[in-house]
Amino acid sequence: MNYKAKHQIKPDGGITRRTALKGLSTAAGLMAAPGFVRYAQAQSSEPIRIGFQCHRTGIGAAYGRWYERVTSAAVKRINDQGGVNGRPLEIVIEDDGTDAARGSEVVAKFANQHKVDLVYGTLFSHVVVAAAPMAGELKIPYYVVSEGYHVASGKMNRYCVQPGITDVKAQVRSVAPWIAQNLGKRVTLVYPDYAFGHDHRDFFEPAITAQGGEVIAKVPIPPTETSFTRYFPQIPRDTDVIYHVMVGPAVLTFVKELGEFFGTGGPQLFGFIDSLEAVDINSPGLEFLDGSHFWEGMPRYAQPDIPRYAASYRETVGIDENGASVNDPNDVSTAGHMFGCWETLYVIKAAMEASGYRGPEDRASLIEATEAMTEFPAGNEHPQGAKIFNGQIHQVFAEQCISQVNGGRLDVVHRTSIEDGMYEPEADYTTMSF
Amino acid sequence: MIRRFDRAKHHRSSLWALVTLAAMPPALLALCGPAFAHASERGHVLLLPTQYYVLGGALAVAASFLVLIFLPPQALARLGTRRMRIAVLPFDGRATVSFFSFLIFAALIYAGVSGSRDPLANPLPLTVWTLLWVGLTLMQGLFGNLWAWLNPWYGPWRFFVRLGGPEKGWFRLPKALGYRPAVLLLFCFAWFELIYIAPDDPQHLAAAALAYWLFTFAGMCMFGHPSWASRMEFLSVCVGMISRLSVLEARCTERGFSLSTCLPGGKLTDTRPLPLSGVAFLLLALASVSFDGFMRTFFWLGAIGINPLEFPGRSSVVTENTMGLAGTFLVLGAAFTLATWAGDRLAGGQNWNRAAGLLVWSIVPIALAYHFSHYLTALLVDGQYALAAASDPFFRGWNLFGTAMAHVQAGIVLGAHSAWVIWNAQAAAIIGGHVLAVVIAHTIAYRLYGSGRRAALSQLPMAVLMIGYTVFGLWLLSTPTAG
Repeated sequence: MNYKAKHQIKPDGGITRRTALKGLSTAAGLMAAPGFVRYAQAQSSEPIRIGFQCHRTGIGAAYGRWYERVTSAAVKRINDQGGVNGRPLEIVIEDDGTDAARGSEVVAKFANQHKVDLVYGTLFSHVVVAAAPMAGELKIPYYVVSEGYHVASGKMNRYCVQPGITDVKAQVRSVAPWIAQNLGKRVTLVYPDYAFGHDHRDFFEPAITAQGGEVIAKVPIPPTETSFTRYFPQIPRDTDVIYHVMVGPAVLTFVKELGEFFGTGGPQLFGFIDSLEAVDINSPGLEFLDGSHFWEGMPRYAQPDIPRYAASYRETVGIDENGASVNDPNDVSTAGHMFGCWETLYVIKAAMEASGYRGPEDRASLIEATEAMTEFPAGNEHPQGAKIFNGQIHQVFAEQCISQVNGGRLDVVHRTSIEDGMYEPEADYTTMSF
Repeated sequence: MIRRFDRAKHHRSSLWALVTLAAMPPALLALCGPAFAHASERGHVLLLPTQYYVLGGALAVAASFLVLIFLPPQALARLGTRRMRIAVLPFDGRATVSFFSFLIFAALIYAGVSGSRDPLANPLPLTVWTLLWVGLTLMQGLFGNLWAWLNPWYGPWRFFVRLGGPEKGWFRLPKALGYRPAVLLLFCFAWFELIYIAPDDPQHLAAAALAYWLFTFAGMCMFGHPSWASRMEFLSVCVGMISRLSVLEARCTERGFSLSTCLPGGKLTDTRPLPLSGVAFLLLALASVSFDGFMRTFFWLGAIGINPLEFPGRSSVVTENTMGLAGTFLVLGAAFTLATWAGDRLAGGQNWNRAAGLLVWSIVPIALAYHFSHYLTALLVDGQYALAAASDPFFRGWNLFGTAMAHVQAGIVLGAHSAWVIWNAQAAAIIGGHVLAVVIAHTIAYRLYGSGRRAALSQLPMAVLMIGYTVFGLWLLSTPTAG
């Protein structure tokens, strides 16, 4: 199979699973050709190997599937346009089973066995938190796409960076002003009673207070709960907005029972798309969400005023108007998060070009080049929108979308400013030694 | 040397991983923030009126037991023995097919070691877990003992015999061992599948599969293929037992293989009693697939102190799940023992061992129904990945069968409509499997106790167990799960 055949693009525009991953790079394509002598022509044509720590199995598999597709699409595009410093990218996938201990082992494997240039792509926070010390120990750059506050908190290390997706603290702060101005100032929080819910609770309360609002009640729900009606009487009658961040299989039940409890009235609803990522918004049980609002990292549904670069991103990744696979309308994407893979790969590309990256000996320079970045303009490389990167805390900040459920689709009604989400850095990784 | 150095470094790294994990302050773990617990397809099932299915299933199994009391048992027994010959295969192609299968196995091991690191692109884990363990087991239940042809040992063993190796081996397996080694091996297999932290890892799986192939082949050479395959090789034992449910029967005659059709489960009603180790083997097979569902439930995770919305991964629950797997086997074993012992007493029987050894065959349709229900979605999606991987087994950009570029249609199991269809298929299988089990158990009981009345009496406790297991099976498929 020659290089051209391996880069086959399906007639419908969707790229295939194998087009970018594994040796879809130029050099790998040549390697399959008879008589090819590995990297015979020049050292500079050797691929840049990126270890993709993917949640292929375990509870993150639904996200892993889409992270893999977006990674394939971005790598193919980068390689088609000449690669990085003239070298193609090659992705090596290792499944971490969405498991903390395995995640750490996978990072070690990437560094010691696969000899990759860097590790990338981890989503689930518990895996990132467990694997980052290994990346630091082995001094290998670790570009995560995790959304957690753990990177910005300063608790990771110099090698752990999150330049492609905002953290939950910024997201929560971003939406608070709009909620206070448009939905109401008296907010009741309904959240699962563990770290994820606590983050929202702890980040949102000061943010809404700063906007003149008030959290008038907090309703923690035990994580194993599957019936919610008995918790709803805890929601005060004078609540303007219910801020809900339920996750897990019982989300649909939660919404259905909320609808049954409030009937046609009730307070405004504001949620995070994390609750319904990869779930069809038209699913039975979700009718009560009509008219309610959600945070989205990037719109699931194609918007009327979609910029050309965002449309191009959607087409390349292979999602349709509804945010589902162009090949499979039932396969709803994780659109609110997966753009982070695309953008992180482009940040890696830019940092490698800025640092003149040649190989593992330049890993520290690569991190320094990433830290030196400040702004990412919206465009093909950053289809979600413009961003500001804070090298001190290794965290990017972005505009966020607030979308309303209208007749079975999510329409963006407001884009926050980048500044809405920014906060005072609590750490400075640049002062740490390599 | 370089390789050894790297490995040592890797081991140090692994050790470091465990040390850092253990030393990680709780405050840092609390920073986990977003956990992305996916709403998952179980969310749609939670909205379905599954409680009516559970009630209906229990009633259907109870009703089938009551109906059997009034049916003439002789007629049932005759139906079970009825055969209709359909063809005679005038040749024995087992050695050829098996040798071909061995070559594929060797290629798969090579792919596991040198192919893609992605378990959804490497054909080894997809073949072992999806095509073999899920697909082949179901085919065995429907069409008979295909594994007798497809196993990767028989062909090489025949070759070994042709080279002068003794057909019956040099040693004899002690009869007293029964199925005990197979029980142990099945437990190890179930542990590797359900509890080991990386059963899908192509290299880990290649090492395990190769070690098992070598162990088994050595055993077959030393003790002879027939005795090793029928009592030691757990996969042959397991799918061989499952195949007794099938609607096809092949008997070895002078003219070749005589193929007949029979009613589903017909072959189970006139089979020989299993020794207690064989009883344990079948119960372990059912216990392992039951625990596969149970270990993902909120109920179990809550019981072992794990928040199901931020499931930390397999490595965190190795001890608990090992105990859980063993516990499920013990509980099921105790329930079966109690039911058959009480039934034997009620019917005035004198030989509980024989009763248990015969009645355990009625577990087969339940085990197959559980297998179908629990692995249906995996079969539908991972089966597509397997097709894609088959076209490019060594990850070199090949497209041998034109399937390498196929987009995997994960949507086939996604969304409310699919959830409804799949739930109904699962529920039908669970209920149907238990009804068939009641019929088979009743027929066996008639054979055991000689009269319809005594058979019905003996089956009272078993009927209660079957109803309970129907409810448990449907609950497993409808209760919230992690992932």
